[in-house]
Amino acid sequence: MGAGVAGQRRQISPALRWVTDISWRPGVIIALGLLGLVTVVFIAILGVGSTVGSSDTSGIGQILMITFIQAGLSTVFSLIVGILLAWSLRHRQQFPGRRLLLSVLSTSMVLPTLVVALGLVDVFGRRGWWNALIDLAGPGFDLATVSIYGLGGIVLAHTYMDAPFIARGLLHRLENIPAEHFKLARGLGLTPWQRFRNVEWPALVPAIPGQCLVVFLLSFTSFAIVLMIGGSPRFNTLEVAIYEAIKLEFDLPRAVALALVQLFVCAALVLLTMSLRSGNILQAVRRPAPMWPEPRFTLIMQWLVIALFTLFFVTPLIAVTLNGVGADFVRLAGTATFRLALVSSLWLASVSALLAIALALFMASSQRHFTSRLRSKPSPMNKLYRGLLTFSGTVYLAVPALVLGLGFFLLARSFLDDLTAVAPVALIAANVMMALPFALVILTPAMGKAADKYDRLAFSLDLHGWARWRLIEWPVLRQDLGYLLALTFCLSLGDLGVIALFGGQGFATLPWLLFQHMGSYRTADAAGIALVLLTLCLAVFFIVPRLFEGRTRAET
Amino acid sequence: MKRFIYPLLSAAIMLSAATTQAADKPKLVIYTYDAFAADWGPAPAVKKAFEPVCGCEVQFVATDSSIGILRKIQLEGASTKADIALGLDTNLTAIARDTGLFTEHGASSASLKLPVAWNDPVFMPFDYGYFSFVYDSDKVKSAPKSFDELLNMPEDFKIVIQDPRSSTPGLGLLLWVRQIYGDKAPEVWKKLKPRILTITKGWSEAYGLFLKGEAEMALSYTTSPAYHMIAEKKHNYRAAGFTDGHYMQVEVAAVVKASKQKALAQKFMAFMVTPAFQDIIPTTNWMYPAAAGKALPGGFDKLHTPAKALLMSGKDVAKNRKAWVQEWLDSVGK
Repeated sequence: MGAGVAGQRRQISPALRWVTDISWRPGVIIALGLLGLVTVVFIAILGVGSTVGSSDTSGIGQILMITFIQAGLSTVFSLIVGILLAWSLRHRQQFPGRRLLLSVLSTSMVLPTLVVALGLVDVFGRRGWWNALIDLAGPGFDLATVSIYGLGGIVLAHTYMDAPFIARGLLHRLENIPAEHFKLARGLGLTPWQRFRNVEWPALVPAIPGQCLVVFLLSFTSFAIVLMIGGSPRFNTLEVAIYEAIKLEFDLPRAVALALVQLFVCAALVLLTMSLRSGNILQAVRRPAPMWPEPRFTLIMQWLVIALFTLFFVTPLIAVTLNGVGADFVRLAGTATFRLALVSSLWLASVSALLAIALALFMASSQRHFTSRLRSKPSPMNKLYRGLLTFSGTVYLAVPALVLGLGFFLLARSFLDDLTAVAPVALIAANVMMALPFALVILTPAMGKAADKYDRLAFSLDLHGWARWRLIEWPVLRQDLGYLLALTFCLSLGDLGVIALFGGQGFATLPWLLFQHMGSYRTADAAGIALVLLTLCLAVFFIVPRLFEGRTRAET
Repeated sequence: MKRFIYPLLSAAIMLSAATTQAADKPKLVIYTYDAFAADWGPAPAVKKAFEPVCGCEVQFVATDSSIGILRKIQLEGASTKADIALGLDTNLTAIARDTGLFTEHGASSASLKLPVAWNDPVFMPFDYGYFSFVYDSDKVKSAPKSFDELLNMPEDFKIVIQDPRSSTPGLGLLLWVRQIYGDKAPEVWKKLKPRILTITKGWSEAYGLFLKGEAEMALSYTTSPAYHMIAEKKHNYRAAGFTDGHYMQVEVAAVVKASKQKALAQKFMAFMVTPAFQDIIPTTNWMYPAAAGKALPGGFDKLHTPAKALLMSGKDVAKNRKAWVQEWLDSVGK
C-alpha cells in the first residue's frame, strides 16, 4: 500500500505535485498560518486595550440561547429546502431556464445583505406583494397575511440566503451517484422514497455536516438582518454586543472576550461535525444521469418544488431589479467614484477568488490525506490535524469582520506609515478568509472522492504531478472549481466590515458605494448599484461555470 | 497564476500611490464620516472654497460613521495623520474630551446661531438638526403631534427606529424620551413597543423601509423633507412636529492635538463658521447651518421648526448612556 507514494519525484511543477500527490504539509502550514493570523489579530487588539475590560457577562447566556435557537432553525429550514430543491432538480434535468435558475439561486448568498433584505421586504413585507395579493383575494384569506418581522422573518431571510448554497452542493452529490446504482434501484423496483432512502440519502450524508456548519455559523453571526427583520432586540446575536463593545464602549478586552466566545462555539461545532462525518462513499465522475419516467405523484411533487422555490427565490430579485431599473445609469457610470469602485471591486474579487481557491486546494488536499486509509493510518494525530484544518477553514465565520478589520488596521499601523497601500491587502486577506469556508465545504468531499476512487490505481501507475492532476483531479473537480470561482468572486466583490477603518481617498468598492448612497437619501442610485451588482453576479454565475464544463458531458 | 496577480497588485499599488503624491503646499487632513466626504456631500465644495484661502491642500479621509472618526484617531494616537476631526456629535464630545486627543480651536463663537447657547473652547459646531419622525402625508392624514399622541395611536400605526447601540438617531430618540419622561422612560418604551415595526442597525435601513411604505413613520430629521422637496421635487414627506420639543443633534469639529499643522487647522476652524462654509451645508448635508450665512434655500422655509430644542449635556450622556441603553433593552427586548 502506498508503494508508489515513495516513488521518484521528477515533475515540472512542485506546487501542483503538492496538490495532487501526497504531501499534507502545505495545507497544514496554511491552516496554522491562518490561525496564527487570527491569534495575532487578537493580541494586537488586546495590546491597545488600555481601558479596563468590564467583566460584565450578564445577558450573554441569554443571547447565546436565543441565537442557538435562531441559527438552529435557520439551518434546519435551509437544509430541508436545500434537499428538496436538489432532489427535484436532480430528477428534472431538462427544462427551459434550468441553467439560468441555477445561476439565480446562487446570487442570493453573495449580494449585500441589505439588498437581499430590502428585496425580501418588497415581497413579504407589510406592504409587500404577497400581502397585496391576499388583499385582492378578499377578506376570506386574511389568515394568509404574513408579517416578516420577527423570528420567522429572520429564519425566512437566512433560508433565502443559505438554502441555495446547500442545494447546489447536494445537487452535485446527487448528480455524481454512479448510474449503476440507479439501474439497480430500478431493477429492484424501488419506490422513489426507497430510492431516496437507499441510494440518494447515503450520497448526501457526508456533505451535510460541513454545509450545516457553514450555514449555522452564518446565521449565528448574522447582524444587520437580525436587527432589521427581527423586530426586537430579543433576537440579537453576539455580533451586536461585539459591535457595541468596539464602537460605543471602546472596551476592546470585552470585544475580544466576546469574539472568543464565538470562536469557542465554532470550535465546538467543528468537533461535533467531525464526529458526525462519515467516510466518503464512492461517487462517479459526472455521467449523464439515467432518466426513467417517475410515478405521477413524484413527478408532480418535483415540478411543484421547483416551481414554488423558483417563485420564492426569484421574486425578491425581481423586486431588486424593478427598484433599480429607474436609476440614471448614464450619470452613475459617468462618475469617477463609480468607475473606481467598479474597477477596484473587479480586481479585488479576481485576486481574492484565485487565492482563496488555491489555499482551499492545499487545505482540502491535506484534509484528504488524513481521511484516506491509503495515505495515512488512523491515529489521534490524524484527528487533530483534521480538526485543525476544519477549524482554520471555518474560523472567519466566527471572527467578526469588525474585529478582523480592527486587528488588520493595528497590525498594518505598527509596521507601516502609510496605510493607503495596505487597504487592498487587508481587504483581500479578509475576502480570502471569508471565501475559504465555502470553498472547503465543496472541495474537501470532492478531493476525497478523487482520492478514494483513483488513489490505488494512481499509486500503482506511479501517476503524479501534472499528469495526475490532468487525468484525475481536474475531471473530478472542474465543475466544482467553476462554481467555486464564481462564488468566491461574487462573495469578494466587496466586504464592508474591513474597509471601514482603512477608508480614504482613491479606494472604494461597489457595496461600499451602495451604502454611501443609501446613507444620504440617494435611494434611486443605491438601487441602481444594487442592480449592477445583481447583474454582475448573475453573469458570473452564468458564464464562469460554463467555461469549466468543457467536454464533460461527452466524456463517457 | 503569479503572472496574473503581480500586474494586478502593482497596478493597485500605483493607483493608490497616485492619490497620495506629495504636493509642495502644506496638507490639511480632515477625518470625517462617509456621507460628508461623498462626491455629493459637503467635502468637495468645502475643499474648493478653503484651498485658495489657505494656500494648502485639503484632504478628507472618510470613516464609516461619526463614532468611527473618534475611534480611528484614538487607535492611531500620537501618530495620527489627522489635523481635524469633523463630524462628531454632541453625544460624543464628553468621551472625546476625556481622551485628551483634542486641543483648543482658538476661533470665535460669535457668529454661531444655534438654538442653544454654545461656548466650547475645543468643539466647534458646524451644523445641527432635530430628530423627528417623518411621514408620508399622502398616506398618513393625521400624524401624532406629541409623544403622548404617538403612544395612543392605534397599534397598526407602525414606526421604524434605529438601535441606540449602533446608530446616532437611535441614541437620539433614547435621550429624547429620557429627557421628556425622565424615570418614566421605561414605561413609555413599553407602551410604544407594539407600534415599533422593527429596530434597524442604521439610519439607511430604517429610512429604506419607510420609503417602501412598510411603516407609517421612521425616525429621521426634521430636515429630511427638504431633501425630497429640493432634490426630488416631492412634497408629500413631512416631519411630525411634537409639542414636547425635539431632541437636537449638533455636529462639531475639533483640532487634533497631535497635528503638526495646528495654525492651519485653527484657520480652518475659523473658516468653518463663515458663510463660505456654512452656505454649503443645507443642500449637501441636509442640516441647518450652525452659523450665520445667506438665507436658507427654498424648501427649508416649509420645514417644521421645533418650538423647543432639547439637548442633554455630553457629560450626562457619557455618564448614563450604558444604564439607559440597558433599561431600553429591558423594556423593548423582553
